[in-house]
Amino acid sequence: MSTTRHHINRQRRRQARATRSATSAGTPESAGSPTRPGGTAVLPPPGSPSPPSARTAETAADGKAAGSGNGTADRKASGAALGGRSARGRSRRPAGLAALCALTVLLGGFAGWAHAKAEALRDDPARRNTALTDLARTSELKGRTSKAVDRLFSYDHTDPGALEEAARDLLTGKAVDQHRALLADVRKRADAQKAVITTTVTESAVERIDGDRARVLVYADQSSVGTAGNGAAAGGADRTGESRKTAGDEGVYAGAMLAVDVVHRDGRWLVSGIDTFGR
Amino acid sequence: MKRAVRALTAHRPRPLSSLVLALTLVAGGFAAWTGQDWYRAAHDDRAAYAAQRDEALAAGEQAVQNLNTLDHRDLKQGLDLWESSTTGELHEQLASGRAEFAEQVKAAKTVTTARVLSGAVTELDDRAGRARVLIALRVTVGASDGAKTDKDSRMLGELTRTGGRWKLSALGQAPVGGAPTG
Repeated sequence: MSTTRHHINRQRRRQARATRSATSAGTPESAGSPTRPGGTAVLPPPGSPSPPSARTAETAADGKAAGSGNGTADRKASGAALGGRSARGRSRRPAGLAALCALTVLLGGFAGWAHAKAEALRDDPARRNTALTDLARTSELKGRTSKAVDRLFSYDHTDPGALEEAARDLLTGKAVDQHRALLADVRKRADAQKAVITTTVTESAVERIDGDRARVLVYADQSSVGTAGNGAAAGGADRTGESRKTAGDEGVYAGAMLAVDVVHRDGRWLVSGIDTFGR
Repeated sequence: MKRAVRALTAHRPRPLSSLVLALTLVAGGFAAWTGQDWYRAAHDDRAAYAAQRDEALAAGEQAVQNLNTLDHRDLKQGLDLWESSTTGELHEQLASGRAEFAEQVKAAKTVTTARVLSGAVTELDDRAGRARVLIALRVTVGASDGAKTDKDSRMLGELTRTGGRWKLSALGQAPVGGAPTG
């Protein structure tokens, strides 16, 4: 029989008794207090050595309990202690828990609802389109697209490589084929007439910016100056031209309009589609 | 020893309560975050600006189409529509030249229809109520002999907001080669 076990048993019993007395007295504050008479009537106050008679009695009792039913008594005692403690909060804690649960559900519900509302507002097509609302991006786009169109639709018969380079740098996706088809005729004619075609964007406006995709409407002037034979290259440089006029020795001017789809990739805006409105 | 036992019984962690409390706090955090997010989305200045931009563009496209549509058989309705789509100087020009223009169209017996190919706003001052638009237009003119000709127009329009509605206050074609063509 170890003295530690003996000590623990004593502690348990004392605690159980104290709790029981506290519950019956109706003063939970003093539960377990060793100064209660209910505790001292059987057990000595802590710190003071037990009278020899009491100690021997206990030792004897414990000695018996080691073999027989004292374990049950211990269990009973600790059960009483548990019951005493939970009796205080039994009515309060479940109600509090239920309220907390309800609050959790309410807060969670509100969070979900507010999120849905915010997403619905942001998904509004008018708001998703940041043309003009994002002024910095809008003007950047206008500048980049104007430069791209200038390069992509200008052609110097003495430097055909420049156009190919521009196509490599600025085009992506189906715009590559569109550009080739649009420029094939122009190049042939310009080569034959030894002409220089210069395109200058005069007006541009951003129709739509949605993330890293955008569409820009562009008005451009094209001048075609021939250096061989009759001087001015006959016909507009671009099939989109709808009005032309000869400006003396300057050559032929044509006005063109087109819508350009651009996509933002690796920090650059690339042309991904060229819409000439079916012309 | 005794104190340790008491401390243990008094502050023994209650797993269920702690879990529920933690969940409540998390839910509260989410609720605060999404609520603020929602408030910001609802009070975004850019949303009102975007709405004005789209309204101005829609009105501009419709007005430009109206002004390029005229049937010699129904001049009154067509020209009324012209006047109701415009404001300011443009409106006065149309009103003063109406009779003369009506005679010309009656004599030519033309039916003009227009289709907007594309349009975009270049400038928008939503406080002053002024906007500038680019509108790509395809005009089809049907002559009295049934022949039809298509012509693309690069329109530049100016809009002014009057009485909560956007109306055209100026309209012209983008000049070619640095000089206006009409």
